[in-house]
This record gives sequence, structure tokens and C-alpha cells, in this order.
Amino acid sequence: MVASEKEPGLRFYLSREPLILALLSALAVVSFLAVSGLSRIYHAQQRSLGNRWFTRGTADLKARHFELAVTEFRAALLYSRDNYDYQLDLAEALLGLKRTDEAYAYLINLWEREPENGLVNLELARIAAQRGETEQALRYYHNAIYAIWPGDPEVQRRDARFELIEYLLAINAKTHAQSELIALAANLDDDPSLHARVADLFVQAQDYEHALAEYRVSLKLDRHNPSALAGAGRAAFELGRYDLAQRYLEAAVAANPNDAKSAALLKTAELVLKMDPFRRQISVDQRNRIVIEAFAAAGERLKSCAAVGNTQGSASSAVSTPSLADNWAKMKPQITEQGLRRNPDLVEAAMNLVFDIERQTNTACGSPTGIDLALLLISKLHEGN
Amino acid sequence: MDDSPNSQTGMLVETREAESLVPRRSRGALLRAVFREERLFLVLSVFIGIFSGLAVVCFRFAIDWCRIYLLGSGFTLSPTRLLLAPSLAGLVIAVLVIHVFPLARGSGVNQTKAALYIYNGYIPLRTPIGKFITAALAIGSGHSLGPEDPSLQIGAGLASALGRRMRLSRDRMRLIAPVGAAAGLAAAFNAPISAVLFVIEEVIGRWTAGILGSVVLSAVSSVVVMRWFLGSESLFRIPAVQLERPSELIAYSVLGVIGGFASVAFSSGIATFRPWCKALPRWTQYFQPAIAGLLIGIIAVLGAPQVMGAGYAYIDEAMHGQFTWQMLAILAGLKIVATLLSFVSGTPGGMFAPTLFIGAMLGAAVGGAEHVLLPHLSGSPGTYALVGMGVLFAGFLRAPMTSVFMVLEVSGNYSIILPVMVANTFAYVISRALQPVPIFDVLTRQDGLDLPSMEEQREEGILRVEDAMRPVTGPVLDAEETLDRAFQGFDEKSPDVLLVRLNPTGWSSISRQELDTMIKEGKGGQTLSSVLAGRQIPYLHPDHPLEMALRYVNRWQLLPVVNRADFRKLEGVVSEHDVLGRYRDFGEG
Repeated sequence: MVASEKEPGLRFYLSREPLILALLSALAVVSFLAVSGLSRIYHAQQRSLGNRWFTRGTADLKARHFELAVTEFRAALLYSRDNYDYQLDLAEALLGLKRTDEAYAYLINLWEREPENGLVNLELARIAAQRGETEQALRYYHNAIYAIWPGDPEVQRRDARFELIEYLLAINAKTHAQSELIALAANLDDDPSLHARVADLFVQAQDYEHALAEYRVSLKLDRHNPSALAGAGRAAFELGRYDLAQRYLEAAVAANPNDAKSAALLKTAELVLKMDPFRRQISVDQRNRIVIEAFAAAGERLKSCAAVGNTQGSASSAVSTPSLADNWAKMKPQITEQGLRRNPDLVEAAMNLVFDIERQTNTACGSPTGIDLALLLISKLHEGN
Repeated sequence: MDDSPNSQTGMLVETREAESLVPRRSRGALLRAVFREERLFLVLSVFIGIFSGLAVVCFRFAIDWCRIYLLGSGFTLSPTRLLLAPSLAGLVIAVLVIHVFPLARGSGVNQTKAALYIYNGYIPLRTPIGKFITAALAIGSGHSLGPEDPSLQIGAGLASALGRRMRLSRDRMRLIAPVGAAAGLAAAFNAPISAVLFVIEEVIGRWTAGILGSVVLSAVSSVVVMRWFLGSESLFRIPAVQLERPSELIAYSVLGVIGGFASVAFSSGIATFRPWCKALPRWTQYFQPAIAGLLIGIIAVLGAPQVMGAGYAYIDEAMHGQFTWQMLAILAGLKIVATLLSFVSGTPGGMFAPTLFIGAMLGAAVGGAEHVLLPHLSGSPGTYALVGMGVLFAGFLRAPMTSVFMVLEVSGNYSIILPVMVANTFAYVISRALQPVPIFDVLTRQDGLDLPSMEEQREEGILRVEDAMRPVTGPVLDAEETLDRAFQGFDEKSPDVLLVRLNPTGWSSISRQELDTMIKEGKGGQTLSSVLAGRQIPYLHPDHPLEMALRYVNRWQLLPVVNRADFRKLEGVVSEHDVLGRYRDFGEG
């Protein structure tokens, strides 16, 4: 640098540097205020545009116009890229269009921002469930159950748990489903339909004891609920408590005469109660008559099964039914009222043969109906004995 | 000069001599002036940052307003607007650029470099104003250009104007444009470190403490201002980044190779078509941006509106797996075409954002394709897109250091550094091999300027003292010897000057003629140390740049080159003849 060039600058700085800095500061403040004004206008416009597109998107999402909703939410995101609600609704719309991968990308991003968000976890769980990623699905479902929810969190959490249970039942994880159901049942409100729904799920999970208990709670709150009555009847039936089943099913059929399933079940329950020779408080004659009728029915079942086996060439029926048929034929002359009265031990021997026939024909020739079904159920009832 | 003790000694000798040439009072004034100007320059850097930040914020507003009013506020745009907006805006831009703002055309980086190396820091205020208006119009109407380069130039222009008002010295004025450029770029990128690095790497070309402080201050203050108004969110939502196995680096290497070739295709396109467009009759320049806009509009109408504008929203989508890999590859190709059209037609705007767009699309496409072939790869599309951005930055803009730090700064994730470095290296090497002249230098030469190439500067060989020094031929005298004894040391073969080793340290020299004269004056019994008191000469080390020797060899016939660990151990000597001879050989080589 040349000294002569330096001198004017030096005098300039010495005399005016503070003044210039003050001027620059003032200019900076004025510019800052001016840009602040512009910024307010800009941000207000951005907010307004974002809201406008979001409102349109929400309306289209509700109307299930997913394609439109997607472009509208994307437009909204142009003005507020990180807006959580915009992204979440866009993901919902994408899910509506079955564009799962794109939705997943948004959801996972939202999850990273707020891992405790219930809806995001639930949607991620659904996607994982669809993709068959069971471990991930369970993780997200559990997150959703314990997550933060807007509005009524208890209801949302309960619904998330219901969904998890349905998913577990769908993948045949019945034990896991039972434990979730027990947890759910422990925190249910006094709402009969909820208890009935839980009881239905218990039935699907084949936990009939808990199912019956839940149906009872439901009926306590609403004793005329036909579906709860039917459910309770079925649960009692599955538990082998046919007298109880009969009572519930009678009430169910009375409440809803169109309930054919309950009617059929009731009929079977009545048959079971009627055909069981070992039930208490029946006379010897009555027992003997039941044994004779059961023995005859078993013989018929054996014949029809053997006929089916012969026409279809079923190996299984060919193996076992001849010996059963021989035994049945050998015993038949003794199974009379007189024979049974003379030799009461025949009651048990005859019924054992009847049960054997019903079990084996059930395996070889398919599920029985009517009196054969009743005898099969009675055989299961006395299996332990 | 470095700060080793012996070097300081060398400098001390020079400073003492310099001091003797300057009157005491004037010297004090000079030092005060330098100090005051340095301080003022630092304060001014903060103001430059603030004003640049404010200008860039307004620039962003202007681009968005142009987009909303010209293209519409929705996500799906009407075909009529897609065709008309960039075409009509192109016509307006052409008229403005030809008649009102001729310097708004071209690369802001090169114009800032030109201000630094040619125009003593002078950038007319009309240039940033023109750049602001025309670039906002171009980007907002859908031309495939980015806001970073114009922001850089707006910052540089404002800084230059401010420097002129402050009547800064020529040296400071030269540096003020890069300071403003760093501020503008930092605000546009929301990435101060990358902006500082880029300006150092591509504009200034060297690291000096004097300028670094100002560049950092301006970049930081501009980013603070920008974040005040626009928030601190980065340009894209950054996805989770992971690298589970080192073997996956091979997958990123593939991206680097493909990115290298894409960079070459992109820069070759610009290098070929830009002069071709410039060579067309002058009247066609009125229509070139409009035709480019129309063609871009057609691309958009045909199904790729993503190529319009800077495209940050789509980079964000690519990072989050919103496109298939086939679509990503198509978008990368179309963006190269669209950017070529916009840039070679002379439409003002930058190439940073398009480069990032192409890189992100290409990266995510390569990542997606690799996932199809090798499903176990852990990298997400976002990771590949981030690495891809760095790859194009390294391959196309040839800023290898900035490319690495930009990805790190934008992603905020250190674990991505390995993939980025590996991929960038491949891209950089391929790009250099196939396109030896970097794109900024290509543009400079096309514009008829001869600015220093930063890449060449970085890699040019440096001559060192060891390249010029020669072994000691004559005896080395000891300071305790008498003059008579020293004279005996001279024989027929001895050089005219001999070095004298002083005690306890330091070096001096004495010529045969001096010695002869002193002996004739009757000083033959005196020791060399007594007659050479205060006549120390500077000494050099073999690794010193040869430039340093050049400072001394015209005053001292022979300079000692000594060992750094033992200053009394002579490695060789160097004279003016040796230094000039080496430079001559180097030039011929």
C-alpha cells in the first residue's frame, strides 16, 4: 500500500469512524424494520395459502377424494414444509390411495419428530401389519396404546388396543391376544356393547371363561341385549355348561327369533341335556331309555359312515369301523330295557361304545349333527371320567 | 514467512532495515492506520453480513411472490401458465439484461473473482440490483436455476458499494467482494461453514488469517439475519442416515462414478452450447431466454414440472422416498437439459440448486436401483440423495472440500462423511480426467477474462529453497578466527564470498575484497566476530518457498541454508544466480 494513498483514509477514519458506524447501525435498524414489515406480509400470505390448501385437502379427505386431497396437502406443504398436521393428513390421503410407501416416508419422518404421537404410531402399525412385519407392527401398536392422543385419549388408546387384538387374532397369535384382552377388559367403562365386543374377541381367542364373564357383565348392564345373550350362550356351550347355555340361548332366541345360529345351538344343547344318561336326578328307566336310543343312533351313524367309506374308499373308516361294528352288533341284543335293568353295568359299557363310535366317525366321516353331535359333546363332557 | 525462531530472525533483519527508511512519526501513523482499518474492516464485515442477509431474505420473498403470481399457488399447475410464465418472463428478462442490467448475466462467482482480481473490488451497484430483479423473475417463473449464485453476487455487490462509501484502501476493497459473497451464499444456503469454505476455495483461493475472520463474521451475521426472518430449518428435511457395513461404501463408490460422468455431461453441455448461443445474431438474444422458458414449460407440461425453479421441495421429496428410482433418474436427466437451456440462454440465475437437484435425484436413483439388486443395503434413499448432492458438487463445481462440508453441515450427521468422501473422490477424479478445465474457468474464458484458476493454483508445484540450493564449495569460516587466518582460507578455487559461522548462533559473510582491505588497514589480528558485529545475514531452511530466498538474494551474495534442528549445520548455500536459474528452468520445464 502506498503511504500517500493511505493518508486521506486515515484522516477520514480518525475523524468520522464513530459517526459512520452510527450511521451504518441506524441504516441496519431501518432496513431490519423494513424487512420485518415485508416478512410479516410474506408470512401472513404463506400461512393463508397453506391454510387455504389444507382446508380444501381436509374436505376432500373427508369426502374420500384422495387424489385431490394429496395435491392439496402437497400445495399446503409448499407454504409450511414442516407443518405436522399437513404432513399427517397427506399421509392419510396417500394411504387412502394405497400409496403406502409414500405415506410411510411421511409417517416415519413424523414419528422421528414425535415418537409419542398416537395416530402416527397407529398408521405405522397398520402399514407394518400390511407388509407382514409383525415385530414392527406390534411395536407401533403398543406405542399407539401408550401414546399421546388428542381429544379423548382413553377412547383412542382403547381403539388402538382393539385393533391390535384384531391383528393378533388375524395372525393367529391367540395367547398374545388373550393377554391383551385381559388388559383391555380390566379398564373398560360400563358400556354393555364394549363388554360384549371384548367378550366376542375372547370367544375368537377361544378363551370362553373370560368371554362368559364379559358377556355376563354386559348383560348385567343390559339384560336384553340379544347378541350378548347369544354370545353368553355360545361361551357356556363351549365350556360344556349346557344347562346355562340353554338358558342364555333360549333368552337369545326369544329376544331375536331370527337368530338361527343360536336356535341351532340351543337345539344341540337341549339334545345334550336330554341324551346324557349320566346326569343326576333321572330315574333308572329313563336312563335305560336314553342308553337304548343313544346305542341305536350310534349304530345308524356307524352304518352311514361305513357306507360313505365304502363309496369313497376311505381308508380311515375301513380300518376302525369294522371292529366297532362287530362290537356294536355283539352288544346290541343286550341293549334292551330288560337287559339293562338286569345288568346295570351294561349302561357304562354301552355308552363307552357309543362314545367310541361317535369319536371315530367324527374323525372319519366329518362332523355329526343332531343326536350324534349331542352324543359326541356328551363324550367330551365325560372324557375325564 | 513462518514463525520459527530463525525465520523471525530473518524477518527481524529486514524489518530493521525497513524501519530505517520510514520517518518515526509517519511510521506510527501508518501502523495506527493499518490497525484502525483492520478493526473497521472486521466491524464492516458484520454490517456486510447483516445487509446481505436482509437482501437475501428479500430475494427469497421476491422469488416466492413471482412463483405464486406467475405460476400459481397450487401444487399442480395449469399447462397454460407452465408454458406462458417462463416464456414471457424470459422476454422481459432479456430486455432487462440487454438494456438495463448487462452485468446481471453470467456467473456471480466469476464476477466476484473478477472484482477481486481485475476491478479492485469494484462491482457497480446496478449489478446486484439487476441480479435481484432478473434472477427472482427467472427462478419464480420456473426457469431451472437457483438462488444461491445470485445471492452470492448480491452480497458481493452490496459489500463493494459499502466499501466504496467507506473509502477503504485498495487492498481492502479487493477483499470486500468475497466477504460479501460469503455472506450472500451463507444466507442462501443457510450453511455458514460451506459458504466460507466455498469462497475461500473458489473465489479467494488461499487461506489468510486477515480475510478469514472477516469472511466468517459476515457469513455468520448473514445467517443469523436470515434465520431471524425465515427460521432455522435447513433446505430439506434430513432423513435418518446410517451406514451399517463398511462394504456398503462400494455402493456409494458406484454413485461417485455415475455422478462423475453426469458432471462431465452437464459441464460439457454448458461448455459446448453457451458459446454457440452467444455466437448467434444479437437480435436472437431477446428471444433466447423465452425459448428456453418455453421448452422448460413443455417439459413440465409433459409430466415433469419438478424441473422448474430451484426444486428444493422435490429434493426433499426425493430424500423421503416419494419417487421411484426410474422417475428419479428421468428427473436427473431432464433437470440437466432444463438447466442447460436456462443457463446457456443467458438467463440470470445460479447453478448451485440445479446441481444439488441433479445430485439428489441421481443419488436417490442409484440408491433405489442398488436396493433392487441388493436389498440388504442399509442406506435409505435420503442418504444416497445427500451423498449424490455432494458428488455433483465435487464433480461439477469442482469444490471438493466444500462438497464434503456442505453435506455434513446440511445433514448434521457425521456418520455420512465416509460415503461422501468416497463418492466425491470418484466423481472429482473422473470429472478432472474427462473435463480438465473446471466449469467456472470455462465460463471465465468464454467471457474473455483470464482469472486465476483456483484448481490450478491449489495443485501447482511450489519451488522450494532446496530446489535451488547447491553444496558449499569453499570453506566455512569461524567467527573466532583472525582476519589473517581467514584470508589464508581463500585460495584460487574459493568463491569470492565465504560464510562465517557466528557464536553462539547466526551467520554472516565476508568477501575476499573486504578481507583484503581490512588486512591492509592493519586489522589482520582482529577476529572476524569483532569486525562483523551487527552484520548478521538471514538464513534459510531447505523447505522454505524459493520466493523467500528471492527477498534476500539481491542484498546478500550468498545465503546459508541451514538445518531446522541445528542452525549451525549448513545444508547448502543459495545465491541470486541459483534462484533465478531455478526459476528459469522451471518456466522452461
